[in-house]
Amino acid sequence: MQDVRELNSGARLYIAVGLLAGAVIALQIAVMRIFAAGNWAHFGSFIVSIAMLGVGISSTVMCVRQPWFERHWRRIASAALLAFGPIAVAANLIAQQFPFNAIFLIADDSQKWRLAGNFVLYLLPFFTGSLFLGTVFLKTRQQFARIYFADLAGCGLCGLATLGGMWLYAPEHLLLIPLMLWLAAGVAWAWTIASRRVLFGLLVAGALAWSGQTWLADSLALTRLAVSEYKGVSYAQRFPDAQRVYERATPFGHLEIYASSYLHFAPGLSDNAALNLPEMPDNAYLGLYIDGDGPIGIIRDLPASQTAYFDYLPTALPFALKQDADVFVVQFGGGLSTASALNKGARSVTVADSNPAVLNAFRHDAGLREFTGDILAKPRVKVVAQDGRIFLSNTDERYDVVDLSLADSAGLSNPGGFAIAEKYNYTTEAMRTYMRALKNGGVLAVTLWNKEEPPKSVLRLYATMVAAAREMGEPDLERCFYVVSSYLSTATVLYRRGGFSDEEVATLKARTRALSFDEIQAPGSQVDAHAADDVMAAYRAQIFGKLPASGDASIPDDSSAATEPGAESADDDMGAETGDAPTVMPSIALARAAWAALLANQWQPFADTYVYDLHALTNQRPYFAAYLRPASLPGVLDRLDLLQDEWGYLLVWATLIIACCAGAILIALPALFGWRGLLARCPGKVGTLLYFACLGAGYIMVEVVLISHFILALSNATVSATVLITGMLVFSGFGSLCAERYLDSARRVMPYIFIAIAVLLIGYGLFIDRALDVVGSLPYGWRLPCCFLLILPPAFLMGMPMPTGMTWLARLGKEQMFLWAWGVNGCMSVIGAALVPLLATSFGLSSALVLAGLLYLVALPAFRALLRPMLPASAA
Amino acid sequence: MSVLAAGGMMPLTTRAAISTPFTFDLEPPMTAREAFVEWMVNNRGEDRHFLGQRWDRLQAMVEHKDVWDDVVKRAFLLTPREEFVQKVNRSHSYDHNFLDIGYGVTISGPHLVGRMTNSLEIKQGDKVLEIGTGSGFQSSFLAHLTDKCYSIEIIKPLAERTRGVYDELIGRGYSEFQNITTKNADGYYGWEEFAPFDKIIVTCGIDHVPPPLLKQLQPQGVMLVPIGPPGAQRVLKIIKGVEADGSTHIARTDIYNGRIVPFVPFKKLDGDKISGTHNT
Repeated sequence: MQDVRELNSGARLYIAVGLLAGAVIALQIAVMRIFAAGNWAHFGSFIVSIAMLGVGISSTVMCVRQPWFERHWRRIASAALLAFGPIAVAANLIAQQFPFNAIFLIADDSQKWRLAGNFVLYLLPFFTGSLFLGTVFLKTRQQFARIYFADLAGCGLCGLATLGGMWLYAPEHLLLIPLMLWLAAGVAWAWTIASRRVLFGLLVAGALAWSGQTWLADSLALTRLAVSEYKGVSYAQRFPDAQRVYERATPFGHLEIYASSYLHFAPGLSDNAALNLPEMPDNAYLGLYIDGDGPIGIIRDLPASQTAYFDYLPTALPFALKQDADVFVVQFGGGLSTASALNKGARSVTVADSNPAVLNAFRHDAGLREFTGDILAKPRVKVVAQDGRIFLSNTDERYDVVDLSLADSAGLSNPGGFAIAEKYNYTTEAMRTYMRALKNGGVLAVTLWNKEEPPKSVLRLYATMVAAAREMGEPDLERCFYVVSSYLSTATVLYRRGGFSDEEVATLKARTRALSFDEIQAPGSQVDAHAADDVMAAYRAQIFGKLPASGDASIPDDSSAATEPGAESADDDMGAETGDAPTVMPSIALARAAWAALLANQWQPFADTYVYDLHALTNQRPYFAAYLRPASLPGVLDRLDLLQDEWGYLLVWATLIIACCAGAILIALPALFGWRGLLARCPGKVGTLLYFACLGAGYIMVEVVLISHFILALSNATVSATVLITGMLVFSGFGSLCAERYLDSARRVMPYIFIAIAVLLIGYGLFIDRALDVVGSLPYGWRLPCCFLLILPPAFLMGMPMPTGMTWLARLGKEQMFLWAWGVNGCMSVIGAALVPLLATSFGLSSALVLAGLLYLVALPAFRALLRPMLPASAA
Repeated sequence: MSVLAAGGMMPLTTRAAISTPFTFDLEPPMTAREAFVEWMVNNRGEDRHFLGQRWDRLQAMVEHKDVWDDVVKRAFLLTPREEFVQKVNRSHSYDHNFLDIGYGVTISGPHLVGRMTNSLEIKQGDKVLEIGTGSGFQSSFLAHLTDKCYSIEIIKPLAERTRGVYDELIGRGYSEFQNITTKNADGYYGWEEFAPFDKIIVTCGIDHVPPPLLKQLQPQGVMLVPIGPPGAQRVLKIIKGVEADGSTHIARTDIYNGRIVPFVPFKKLDGDKISGTHNT
């Protein structure tokens, strides 16, 4: 057996650990990308989160059989490392041959098994990776701070490398990056333990894994990435004349553009277009798909004779008031708003987009430039290659029209549900920025999809815009808003700084009539905020009411025969179930009453009685998701068919529940097996577990919540994730290294560290938004170092408690506790990661930071329990 | 046959020829399960097991107020839904849920199809256009209500597969499916050759109501359009009304009149006892 001191010597071990830890995080990113492109991103997060319990399982196994692992560490670590690559490839290939389909999860029991199968398959490589790391940690426990530095720094730097690799590899080939890192780790490990046998094994395993991912998959026609037939891009591929005219792998998503005569876009088109227009233009659009989702319509450079239909789109509404306007388009998307503004004679159109990959395609692809008439190079068009919200908050330019229209895709292809994604472009703060950027009398036009029944997103939008206008100090809010919608289509809110004149209101009313849109709010409207109380009650009864008792829906007797058209059932508050439609649709009556409540400053009681959570979007709670209040969840578990657009949110709850159950089992197993053995002589067990639980949950919560926060300044989720993963882990690695210096004085120093972390995190929770606003105003090149500087203080300090605790467990001879603690830390990481979106959607992003700060405070007294020395064997 | 086999749509085992061909005045018993099953076995040669499930599902649809006209109930009872689902899902033919039929397309659940069909208020002789043939079940249901059904499918292999199902069934004596005319094309432009239509039923998603379809809809005509992805779908009901001054007015509602209708599992009875549900 090799001496422990020998294993500890040299940089080779640190390189091996860093690279393997990096390979594990690269695999995590690759699997999430594979799911984003092939299925739905939030299912990828779900599976990877659960699979990360591999850390917990490996530590539990090691804890229970610790002496065996001590004896055979060399073989175990080598075997686990060699197995990682082939298992990662095999797991992905097998999982992709049997993909599950999210939309049939409720209807088809076999899909649940497939999902479970995916989870087990992807768990295997994480388990083997963790087994290697755990074994090495066990053998180097006296020097844990250094090895932990290698682990964290390796994760951070390899995460950065993986994100860079997304420029080179499409999602289906992204697995090659963890394979490369694994091979390099294998070489470093073979060198560390000076084993030719391991090197030979690595050659064989490497050949197996690499050929499996490349040659074997091609030869056997195995798919590396099964794209769901229900993804938007799958439909485009089936059109007979479909041609992919553009494709790029980028960290900002896998971009594909398809041409087909079968693609038709006219989002929110008035039905009256059919009565007044001779025809719609042919072949007017290309379909843009990002990670297979879409389409986002890219509009052709149409001759003036074919653009009459623009008048029938909701995006044209502000131009009924504003001719020769200076226009700002907050999100370029596929260019429809830009084309519409140009068509309406805008003097200038400034367009922004935070996705550089999209702008790059429009600017540099010859085919796309020709199709769009090189729209971004037109003399009247100015391009802002950054988030429109951030640009407007830092410019003195003022505009006649600010447009934020249907920034997302047509919404036809999200049967996997909508993810909990930050929508900072729609927050109260963003709306205030847009309103400030208007010239006196300028108009802000926001159009949103209005396809929900009961309405959810549009009501949040209304609340958000009114909150922003109120903060602007508008004296007469009622005159500032004109709102129209088209049933099950779109809703458009027009805000005019200073209020609409009577003449403008008359013009808008005439346009609304001409387009057959429904007027929701207009200056002078007389609607009672309680006018839709019966609709609210009916929605509540329909969604949360009792289903008929069992048996009474089986075979009807004469008295329960079907209701005839025109008749009304006793519980029918919205008109006859099968008869004539009500004069005004319930959702329209509700929207009108919502506006009355908003303008009368009676929103809170209105929102409190609604079936869904209707809070205004803010930078703290920037979500068009999680409409179901947590307290309402138990009441809908028997009718999840009503909530399939909330899958993203429900899956987070599922992750949390599964992680809690699995974590409890994994934490309990070592206790059951070792309670009468070594563990019995470990005093302070509860305190020790609490310590590592707090660190595990606290650390991941900070990392996840800061990724969401930093989008504010960095405009892009991918860039934010890159900066945070790299910054947090590398700085924490240095913190770990630094902790080694204070090990002997840990009892005295660590309390200060915990207090400093808690103060920093709670302070960040309260003030980070303001700091990020300032950072967001800087040139992009300056924003990155500023963000790293912001991350540095907490990340550095947060790197210290874990290695300090682990090393002290080792010093005190609590080897089983050492492994147990590592497992607890891993399990709580999964729980913490799932907690963040739930906290953020309910209480705001800062609540997660504050809670993390409190967890570090709780860890302070727990640390003292950890330091209690082992009892002598006779005391057990 | 090869197209059907490739799509997992192999016909059910050969049965006795249909002894009583469809006519619009065909009246299977509609008051008792056993009488209905016996009549269908004797007159239409269908499978007793599926017939029982079909009857039970109809009762749930009636209870759930998804069908209310006798003529629609009769049409449902005469439509062999099991012939239009994939072989792997055949045992789930009469489940409430929508089912996968390949190509990223689903066959809607019987409750939704029933509600859509009854909402159209089709009269015999009405000209009905369906956009999105899909499995073919919706058109086959309609074919028992009118003799003029036109159906367009955009996905060529699916269009061919479903045409094969119709032809195979016609060959077995389901003469009513001769009422269905199909083609593989882009449904966005409707079917000018047979326009105008009294009713149009769209069964695929789009971000706006295609103007060519609205143009091909008769005054006072009704069009149904599903909005949103499977699982979170509403069905828009468009009525092309004519005002007193002769001008056209288009009104939007939905087939549930804005109500939210949770699915109610219906219970399987074994004598007087509940022995589970029909959805598991």
